[in-house]
Amino acid sequence: MFLEINHITKAFGEGDNRVEVLKGIDLRIEKGELCVLLGPSGSGKSTLLNIIGGIDSADGGDICINGERMADMKEKQLTMYRRKHLGYIFQMYNLIPNLTVQENIEVGAYLGDHSLDVSELMATLGLYEHRAKLPNQLSGGQQQRTAIGRAIVKNPDILLCDEPTGALDYHTSKEILKLIETVSQKYGNTIIMVTHNDAIKDMADRVVRLRDGIIRKDERNAHRIAAEDLDW
Amino acid sequence: MKNPLHKRLLRDLRSEIGKYLVIFLLLMGSIGIVSGFLVADGSMITAYNESFEKYNIEDGNFRLSRQANKAQIKAIESLGITLYDNFYVEKELTNGSTLRIFQNRDEVNRVCLMEGEMPKALGEIAIDRMYADNNGIQIGDTLADSKQSWTVTGLVALSDYSCLFSDNNDSMFDAVKFGVSVVTEDEFAGFDASELHYSYAWKYDTAPVDETEEKERSEDLMKDISAEVTLESFVPQYLNQAIRFTGDDMGSDRAMMIALLYIIILIMAFVFGITVSNTIMKEANVIGTLRASGYTRSELIRHYMTMPVLVTGAGAVLGNILGYTIFKNICADLYYGSYSLPTYVTIWNAEAFLLTTVVPLVLMAVINFIVLWRKLMLSPLRFLRRDISRKKQRRAVRLSSHIPFFSRFRLRIIFQNTSNYCILFVGILFANLLLMFGMLFPSVLAHYQEEMEDNMLCEYQYMLQVPLNAMNEDNKLESLLSMLQFQYAVETENEDAEKFSAYSLQTLGEQYKSEEIVFYGVDKDSKYISIDVDGADIVISAAYAEKYNITPGDSIVLKEAYEDTEYTFYVAGVYDYSGALAVFMNQEDLNGIFDLDDGYFSGYFSDTEITDIDEQYIASVIDLETLTKISRQLSVSMGSMMYIVDGFAMIMFMILIYLLSKIIIEKNAQSISMTKILGYTNGEISRLYIVSTSIMVVLFLLISLPIEYEIMALLFRMIMLSSMTGWITFYVDAFIFIKMFLMGIATYAVVAAMEYRKIQRVPMDEALKNVE
Repeated sequence: MFLEINHITKAFGEGDNRVEVLKGIDLRIEKGELCVLLGPSGSGKSTLLNIIGGIDSADGGDICINGERMADMKEKQLTMYRRKHLGYIFQMYNLIPNLTVQENIEVGAYLGDHSLDVSELMATLGLYEHRAKLPNQLSGGQQQRTAIGRAIVKNPDILLCDEPTGALDYHTSKEILKLIETVSQKYGNTIIMVTHNDAIKDMADRVVRLRDGIIRKDERNAHRIAAEDLDW
Repeated sequence: MKNPLHKRLLRDLRSEIGKYLVIFLLLMGSIGIVSGFLVADGSMITAYNESFEKYNIEDGNFRLSRQANKAQIKAIESLGITLYDNFYVEKELTNGSTLRIFQNRDEVNRVCLMEGEMPKALGEIAIDRMYADNNGIQIGDTLADSKQSWTVTGLVALSDYSCLFSDNNDSMFDAVKFGVSVVTEDEFAGFDASELHYSYAWKYDTAPVDETEEKERSEDLMKDISAEVTLESFVPQYLNQAIRFTGDDMGSDRAMMIALLYIIILIMAFVFGITVSNTIMKEANVIGTLRASGYTRSELIRHYMTMPVLVTGAGAVLGNILGYTIFKNICADLYYGSYSLPTYVTIWNAEAFLLTTVVPLVLMAVINFIVLWRKLMLSPLRFLRRDISRKKQRRAVRLSSHIPFFSRFRLRIIFQNTSNYCILFVGILFANLLLMFGMLFPSVLAHYQEEMEDNMLCEYQYMLQVPLNAMNEDNKLESLLSMLQFQYAVETENEDAEKFSAYSLQTLGEQYKSEEIVFYGVDKDSKYISIDVDGADIVISAAYAEKYNITPGDSIVLKEAYEDTEYTFYVAGVYDYSGALAVFMNQEDLNGIFDLDDGYFSGYFSDTEITDIDEQYIASVIDLETLTKISRQLSVSMGSMMYIVDGFAMIMFMILIYLLSKIIIEKNAQSISMTKILGYTNGEISRLYIVSTSIMVVLFLLISLPIEYEIMALLFRMIMLSSMTGWITFYVDAFIFIKMFLMGIATYAVVAAMEYRKIQRVPMDEALKNVE
């Protein structure tokens, strides 16, 4: 198994204010799988994603990626784990404002040992003609495409997407989802995508529904459709 | 692959040019001024120290009432010293100053020619360069007294007068009203013998190994010489202010400048700290993303440290260039304006480099490193959420709903920015401290002058002197007649005149430098000084009490100048007089305690000029001009220095207020934009945000003033105790506080206006985009 999530728990706050966000999550994800985490606000999906991404810690439980246990990793090793295995896409694109599109993607390329060709990737993402522009000269969709480029360019094993279309309109969202699908198919990355948009589940290999910190439903998508055909 | 983040550096510099320019200027200015000062100071101290050997400066001098005969000289030289004639005359010039004229020296206390030529013929004179500067005298000008005149052929520095003290007991030198000069042997021979002051310089045959030995040997020497001749004065080199004051003062100037540097370094550390914190806050999203992507902490620390360290480096390099060129010359000119120093050669100053360049660079690197390292310990998620404060806000402070909404809003802004306001307060404190440092001295000196005017014992204080022939031991009859004539001649018809006795003792010099305390014995029914004490009870001057923290009821111990005899007195009161470190007691008691005759008196107090006593019997007249010599000389020697500090302080003040106010307003920029989106007008927004910070700035400016006053009073006292004889009262003119306050407000107003305009230009959708 490529990614094993064993009985992850997480709580925030103290005393009366204590809220258990994750109440023992168990999950197995295969390499190359596109897994969508669905759930309403406060269900714990983003927290789970952050724990998988090593940017938040679990109170209990364990995560293994390719046989490496995250719980055993110290800060430096966690950084190297993210560097080696993970790519991140956020709802807010978090691009570096004074670097161009190409340079923002190179920021990701610098981290990989076998990074993809930046020009080719920009062409794939439809950014080539915008490569010399700064983020504030781009539309929201172009910015998110740049963020995808930055995440994917180091060819990570896992691509973590936290509400990647949350700040985008319908058409741009579909464009981004198509890109994520293309990337997944072209480079074979495992993709874990957090969303509260129910329609997006149809493009996934696997749909995990969370509510109140527990997995309510974990199902394989027998009738997966192309991102192109999604509608909501 | 090269780190693509490097490409940000130049763009960061461009986009944050205001911040970096401020840091660059701050560093360049501070390093330039301090390094320039330390280099000039170091080079001149070296030149000064080398002058002892180069110009063969005396080991001491003594003055006799008449010329020593060969037998006496032989006897004195048998004590292990070599004597050199260093006779002089003093001329009251038509320009109102006193010129001490020596014969040119070629063995001891040699003269450094600074400009022009040494005198070669009769009627020619070379005068002290600084005295010439202060009196606007140039080569070729003519100097004259009531009888003769001299043409100035050159400007010189006399190695035994690097500081122009006319009397070793003076509190302060006077390079305006007193000067020294040399003439040819023939010219000197032409002076009337009655005008000559028989001063002898000596050099030890075997130089003392240290100051302790020098002190012991000079004390023994004084006793032995006293056995041979009657001493009028005896000044070993280590006590000679004309020789040593310059070195001591340059040392204390250096101490003051290093103290200033430490204040600057503290401010820099503070500025660097808040700057880097602010950068982290602004870049939180980027840092979070980079950390989440796998950038290591050290990669990011290196990245965020690069630009501040480069800017510091550039500031240091340029600061040093300015320091070694422009500022060094300015500082050297300041010394040449105060002291009569020989020429100097610029010497590389490793200490200055360390203090002004290495320390700020290391400080910048270390502070950046520590702040970044500490902040980057936080998880990437905290950065992504912009939750990078280590302190968690507990509960909201309860505010009554009776408080108007706008006031509550403002209070919330203030509570929310408490830590920023604390930083602002510390910054204002530092900046104002520096500003006060620069503005203080003119105010202190002006106050001192006023105090002197309001607080004089009398308008004229005459000190009498016994004529030389009254002490002629070879002709007892002539001496007796002269003495009788003296006693008759010093009586006056002036009804204002009141006799007093004077005596001087020295402080023990345990904690601070030993200095002279003048004792006034005054008439019981004195109309000038009203005291009511008997026996060994004394009243001390306010200056004495303030300097040594003496209060009524204390006992003080003083000693004779050249002896070990000590006296203990009981302090019965403090007399409101700041003109000198003085003691007042009953005249009869003073005469008794110091073994003087019953009817002995030393001079007169008078509110009107005494015209019926021959000038030959008057040693000195102390009037307002004499008393204000200290402030006059300090104004001359420190004036330009203070202007530099003043200007520098103002710039520092503006920079700090700018940086700190900018940070607070920038931090609120997003909320301000949000309120704009909600429909608040610009006027309402400014009433909320700008007014909150303005209230705090005004409050801090006011609160900081008394704190700065106390700190400055302490610093001033330390400087006075360690580097000056006499005493000047610490005084800050109320106008300075007003000026500081208004400058703070004006600076802040400019900053607030600039920031507000910037905020107005931020599009509302931009504000929304950045909100998570």
